[in-house]
Amino acid sequence: MPIQNGLTYLKNKVQGNDTFFTDINNLKQENEELKEKNEQLEQSLRELENIKTENETLTEYLNLTEKYGEYKTVPGYVINKDISNYSKTIVINVGKDDGVDVDMTVIGNEGLVGHIVSVTDNTAKVQTIIDTASSVSCSMSTTKDAIVCKGTLDDKSSLRAMYIPTDCNIIQGDSIETSGLGGIYPKGIHVGTVQRVVNTQNMTDRYAIVETAVDFDTLDTVLVITNK
Amino acid sequence: MKKFIINIVLILVAFLIYFLQSNFFTWFNIAGVKPSMFVLFVVFIGLFSNKTLGTIYGIAIGLVVDLLVGTKIGITAVALGIVGFLSAVVDKNFSKDSRVTIMFIVLAATIIYEVVSYILNYIFLAINVEILNFIKILALEVIYNLILTIILYPLIQKFGYIIENEYKGNKILTRYF
Repeated sequence: MPIQNGLTYLKNKVQGNDTFFTDINNLKQENEELKEKNEQLEQSLRELENIKTENETLTEYLNLTEKYGEYKTVPGYVINKDISNYSKTIVINVGKDDGVDVDMTVIGNEGLVGHIVSVTDNTAKVQTIIDTASSVSCSMSTTKDAIVCKGTLDDKSSLRAMYIPTDCNIIQGDSIETSGLGGIYPKGIHVGTVQRVVNTQNMTDRYAIVETAVDFDTLDTVLVITNK
Repeated sequence: MKKFIINIVLILVAFLIYFLQSNFFTWFNIAGVKPSMFVLFVVFIGLFSNKTLGTIYGIAIGLVVDLLVGTKIGITAVALGIVGFLSAVVDKNFSKDSRVTIMFIVLAATIIYEVVSYILNYIFLAINVEILNFIKILALEVIYNLILTIILYPLIQKFGYIIENEYKGNKILTRYF
């Protein structure tokens, strides 16, 4: 019967209405709870990400310390870079209080970074090897010939290897290491690899371009060697 | 009181420029070359105030920069001091309303600043002299500084006349007649 159908429909509608309001209240409460839970989850995700980056940094430090195990080192962060186009010094967050002093060697994960030129209680200025005022006494790993690597204005990731002995046979891709001469840099720290040799009319003037092992654009963690 | 506020604002701007120079321009550069906004700033102070203020700001900013990132203290201070002094001197002979004149002053100031600091660096730090590379970087730096001058000059002019009124007073009008 259509009338009965209609009445039953109405009755069902009215019956459902009393639970309608309690449902809304329940849903509201549930929604609140879920929102809170979501916030907690987001918070823990952020914490996890922080821990992840911290872990990466610590692993980097550990790699560095293992690699240069024979030296006593202090880890540090790069906190400032030079604002000029012509000099390439950096500032790190360790200073006198951490046992850092002038003329100490600074290394990165891949190799030599530079040396300390001035120091305060909590910071130190590092003259990088790519600075034009920097000269590093080096030797080639295969021939053991002594050369001097100087920073250039030309490029942020290459050095100019000068004073190459006339009888020396330079090999492209040869590894360059510090020679230990000069008193600042210890012996055997990796500097970079020979990229190409530039021959000039005069044999004594020829030079080589050395690609630095350290990428100075992305450099952020360093180690200062506190014993020589 | 007004002078005090002007100086506070100038010091705040100097800090802002330091922030831009050490962070923003390290990635916003032309072929790896950053502009030298401190030169622009000191030129602007020299032009709109007087010799004393231009030189003092030049030396003070230079000293702070040297202390923060420089290898030898005093090199940037001397170079910026010279720029501040010279821009106050040229203010007497040129009109600041012409944008072309301002661009020439910025061009000359940037060249003077970089050449002076390069020579001082050569004397005190024994850097390897690379004239061609130096000129190449200098040219790009000058172009960048000129672009910044074109963009920023209306703003500089607005603030500059407030400084000029305070430091030069009514004397400003007499010299044009």
